[in-house]
Amino acid sequence: MNEVAKLVLPLRQFMDRSEGWGRNEGREIFPRLLAFVELNPSVVIFQISMMGIERMDMSFASETIVELARRFRRAKAFCLTDIEDADLVENVDAAAAKKEQPLLVWEGNSARLIGLEPSEGTREAFQFAMSRPSSRATEFAARKGLSIANASMKFKQLWEQGFLLRRESNADTGGVEFVYCRIG
Amino acid sequence: MNCIVNFPPTWVNASKFETALKASCGPHALNTYTVAFNFPAGCKIMVDAGIRLLSLANQLASTSRRVRLCFEEGQAGTMGYLNRMGFFDHLHEGVEVNPSRPLHSAARLHHGSNSMLVEIARINKDARDAELPSRLTEAVKQACAGREDIGELSGAAWMIFAELIDNIFSHSRTPLDGYAALQVYSGGNRLSFAVSDSGLGIMDTLRPSLKTQFPNLERLSDTDLVVEVFRQGLSRHGSDRGLGLKGCAAKAIKFNAALDVRLATQRVLLVPARGAYEPNNAFCYEDLPLLWGTHIGFAFKLDA
Repeated sequence: MNEVAKLVLPLRQFMDRSEGWGRNEGREIFPRLLAFVELNPSVVIFQISMMGIERMDMSFASETIVELARRFRRAKAFCLTDIEDADLVENVDAAAAKKEQPLLVWEGNSARLIGLEPSEGTREAFQFAMSRPSSRATEFAARKGLSIANASMKFKQLWEQGFLLRRESNADTGGVEFVYCRIG
Repeated sequence: MNCIVNFPPTWVNASKFETALKASCGPHALNTYTVAFNFPAGCKIMVDAGIRLLSLANQLASTSRRVRLCFEEGQAGTMGYLNRMGFFDHLHEGVEVNPSRPLHSAARLHHGSNSMLVEIARINKDARDAELPSRLTEAVKQACAGREDIGELSGAAWMIFAELIDNIFSHSRTPLDGYAALQVYSGGNRLSFAVSDSGLGIMDTLRPSLKTQFPNLERLSDTDLVVEVFRQGLSRHGSDRGLGLKGCAAKAIKFNAALDVRLATQRVLLVPARGAYEPNNAFCYEDLPLLWGTHIGFAFKLDA
C-alpha cells in the first residue's frame, strides 16, 4: 500500500485570535478549514496542530475540529498534535463525545483516544490496528483465532465510526482486500 | 395595584432574593402597576441577587410599570456597592431611585481596579465583546493567584463564562440586555459568578422539541428536565448539541460548586454529591413569582 498522504493543518492560522469562543465564532472559522481541506484533495490525513491556541470552549471545538472530522468520516481523517493543555484536551474530548466522533491526540509516537470510545466488541481490533501502520482483517483473525468474516466486520465497524481509515488493495489470492490504517 | 418587595436587613444572595420576591404579590402580576423594592439599613445585596434584581427591574420598566428602588442608607449602604458594580449604569432610565440616582458611576471611576469584583458586563448579541470571558477569568486569576490549582480553576472559569454567555447569544431572543458578573469573597476562597438574561427560558425553547427530539423525557417535570439539561446536555437542536450547560456543570463539579438556576416560575438548586449533580440532590422551588428569562449562578466554595 502506498504511503498515506498527510498534511499539517495549523488551526491557529485560520483563527482571528488565540481563543476559540462559542458556536458562532466556530461557524465563522469552519468554512476556512473546509476550504483548506478541499484545496488539498490528495491529502488523506490532516494533523491539526493546536500550537498557539490558548483556549477553546466545547461549542467552538464542536463546530470546527469535530465537525470537520465528522463530515469527512470514511474518506479523510483528522487527528490532533501540539496540544498540551489538559483543559483544551478535555473540551475537545467532550465536544467529540457529544457528536460520537473519535479523535486521536498524538504526542510523539504515542496516541491517546478522545471522544467516542470503541465498543467492547471492537476494542481489541482497534488496539491491534493502532499497534502497526496498516492492518488486514486476515492478520487480526490469525492472531486472535477468529473467522476472517468476524475480523472483517470489526474493522469495517471501526472504519464506519471514524476510528480507522481504509484503502483497497490487491489480495494475495487475486481479489480485492481492504487495508486499514490508523489515523496519525 | 402596588407591589412591595421588602429585602431583609442582612446579606441577600439569590435565595434571600427569592424569599423576598415570594413574600410580595408578584411584580409581574397583571394587576400590578407600581413596584417598590425596599432596601433597609444593613441590607447587603450580593452579586447573584444584584444582577437578578437588575434584570427584573428592567423587565418591569419595559412593560411601562412604575418601578422604585428605595435605599434607606443611601450611598453609604448597599446602594454604594451596587453603584460600584455598575448597577445604575445598566438600570432602565425610567426606574426611580430613592434618595436619588448616584451622580457618578463608581464602576466607571474605579474601572478594573478591584480584582475581587468585576463590574456588571452587558451581554447583547449585537455588541459581542470578544474579550469578556478572558476579562472575567483574569479577575479570577488575580484574586486566587496563590492557589496551587489556579491553572485548572481559571480554565474551568473561562469555560463556564464562555459557554453561559454564548448560550445567551444563541438562545434568548430579546431586546433586553443580559448581564454577567463575578465576585470573589473571603480572600479568594469563595467565588460567585452569575449570568442573567430576560429572553426565552430553557423550558420555552426545550419543551416544545421534546416530542420529536427526546420523547422519553417528555413526561419529566420542569425541575427534573433542568437536572437533565446539566447532566446529559439537552438541546432543542438535537442530540449532538446541548454541550454548553453540561460542560459548565462538568467543570463546576470538580470544584464542588453549587448551581442555582432560576426559570420563569421555578428555581432549581443543584448541590454536588459524590462528584455529580443528581436529581435527588436537586432542591426545587415551584410557583415562584414570574421572572422572565434564565438566571444561572455558580457558587464555588474553594478549599483554603
